[in-house]
Amino acid sequence: MKTSLLTLSASAIALGTFASAETMTVGLVAPLSGGGAAWGNAMKGALELAVEDINGAGGLEVGGTTYEISIAAYDSHYNPNDAVTAVNRLIYEDEAAFIVGPLGSAPLAALVPVTTENKKITVTGGFTPIAMAEEHPYSFRAVLPTQIYGNPQIAYVVEKLGAKKVGSLFPNDETGQTMANDISTGYEAAGADASAVDYYERGRVDFVPLLTRVIAQGIDTFELDGSPPQTAGLLVRQLRDLGFEGNIVRTGGDATNDILAVAGPEASEGLYVHMEYDGSLDSLAAYETRYIDAYGGTMNAFSPLFYTTINMIFEGMKAAGTVEDSDAIVAEMAKLTDFEGPAGNANWMGQEVWGVMRQQYIPYAIGQVTDGTPTVIATCDLEKCE
Amino acid sequence: MDMMTLLIQAGVNGLVIGTMYALMAIGFTLVFGIMRVVNFAHGEFYMIGSFIAFFTYAQWQLPFVVTILAAVLLVGVVGALVEWALIRPLRGDELTGMIATLGISVVIQNTALMYFGASPRPMPDVISGLVRVGPAVFSWSRIFVIIAAALVIGAFWLFMQKSRTGRAMRAVAQDREAALIQGIDVEKIFPLAFGISVALAAVAGAMMAPVFSVSPFVGVTPMLKAFIVVILGGLGSIPGAVLGGLLLGMIESFGATLLGAMVADMLQLALVIAILLVRPSGLMGRKEA
Repeated sequence: MKTSLLTLSASAIALGTFASAETMTVGLVAPLSGGGAAWGNAMKGALELAVEDINGAGGLEVGGTTYEISIAAYDSHYNPNDAVTAVNRLIYEDEAAFIVGPLGSAPLAALVPVTTENKKITVTGGFTPIAMAEEHPYSFRAVLPTQIYGNPQIAYVVEKLGAKKVGSLFPNDETGQTMANDISTGYEAAGADASAVDYYERGRVDFVPLLTRVIAQGIDTFELDGSPPQTAGLLVRQLRDLGFEGNIVRTGGDATNDILAVAGPEASEGLYVHMEYDGSLDSLAAYETRYIDAYGGTMNAFSPLFYTTINMIFEGMKAAGTVEDSDAIVAEMAKLTDFEGPAGNANWMGQEVWGVMRQQYIPYAIGQVTDGTPTVIATCDLEKCE
Repeated sequence: MDMMTLLIQAGVNGLVIGTMYALMAIGFTLVFGIMRVVNFAHGEFYMIGSFIAFFTYAQWQLPFVVTILAAVLLVGVVGALVEWALIRPLRGDELTGMIATLGISVVIQNTALMYFGASPRPMPDVISGLVRVGPAVFSWSRIFVIIAAALVIGAFWLFMQKSRTGRAMRAVAQDREAALIQGIDVEKIFPLAFGISVALAAVAGAMMAPVFSVSPFVGVTPMLKAFIVVILGGLGSIPGAVLGGLLLGMIESFGATLLGAMVADMLQLALVIAILLVRPSGLMGRKEA
């Protein structure tokens, strides 16, 4: 009897907090271990903080029902097979309202047809053009791909450094090949030769033989884009171990903190890095403090970007008055402009490039590492960096 | 960079990887030679060695000699206990023993994952700086690995050739029953051999930790390579493991430097198939009676 009373009291408190006592599950599939873990954990942190905000405020009120949100998160290990398994579980078992992820072009290429067929809104970080297509109307992207920022950023760096021959190593999969194509197109458009390219299997840690081969081709600049954060750090370290004194450039996919942690400030000195947004905003500093308080370590720049897009989905649900009708939610999301987020105001772009407005856009920047810290040296828009 | 420089560079790189593979494969083949057990958990002891290096050298800033000694002693004792508690009861059944080591591997790796997380942890070099020989450039941290691994392999060879216990181990590997008749206590040799075997893996892990960073998954690739090496050199043959390790390291380095990563990977496995076709018992292995 005593137990029953306690249970009743607990239920009453819970009902008081979440009036209609509905639960909505949101899903995450991202690399939470291995080379891409820095990005995957940043996405997971973004989702958890966004959900914490909503649950902390009493839940998500949609069409007269208040939802308490729970998260179902799965590790994709940056592997298409694991990502497919996870997404199937999210759709058919967890019945997730939307999915944050997957990350990486290879998992994304395998999954977009499944999520489209099931009308699941996804927020990806995959750079493959498949992510943005008219036939995949529920696929959104939080992070700008190389295809967008590559040319303006590369043009700036090539002119500033006078780069003539550029070397690079990419993972031997869909992600790496997409990146290799975008990057070499960018460098060649800027007047540099980017033919010193090789591919490696993910999980590899010894790049010295491959770097020796690339350096032997007479490169003056090395491009790190396409490699996961920890791998990029190992590449910087091993390039310097081979006595490479040329410029090292990271055109995209924030990895600066991991590169600094793995390679050290000395090897990373002078590194040119892509910055996902202007790092000087107060709102960003507040988000970063909150993130580090919650998870420790450092924050990968993907986190505030995903946090913003996730909140745009919640906003779309509220405006559409439904958590199930993805078409109505997507239509409401499309109306959002200058949406306030920790990394700046976000808008949708992509009509001219992919025929759909599903790409989140926040102005980005180029930084240079000095004494272990990246400093903004140029701010960029869709046309140029200056 | 001219061709000669490229070849010197590839040769030194090959030695670094080759000595590490040899160190891994010696322990792996030792256990097989004596106990007829394929230890699939060998890579996890390499990983434990790398974490011991991370904590003792990077976190507590103890001298690297202490790190190596700690790796040998801690992993050696744990290895002997694992043999005594988990492998001894299954002795005599090679297949069950193999499955047991597979289980031990999963348990160790997931325990490390739970306690240390998945993210790789960087470590500072034991010796920093570069060595320049003409246009060829090498890092001291990699030269250190070659020298230290050669010393460990030499010490192990002396132990096996000159010490009473080493000779007893070789006797058990050659003929267990004859060794028993000669008064060798096989029950003591088995845990000792297992302990020494995994201690060698831990030393390899500790030495490579500053070069490649540390994570619960670092043992997976060296374990696979050790497996290839012992098949190449001959299961149970210690000189075969050294030769196979160096050969594989050289093929990997020269192949990747001159022909690219994908060709190098194919070359390694093509070589194994070719050797097994010509010499099914491996380069220095003995035919089973």
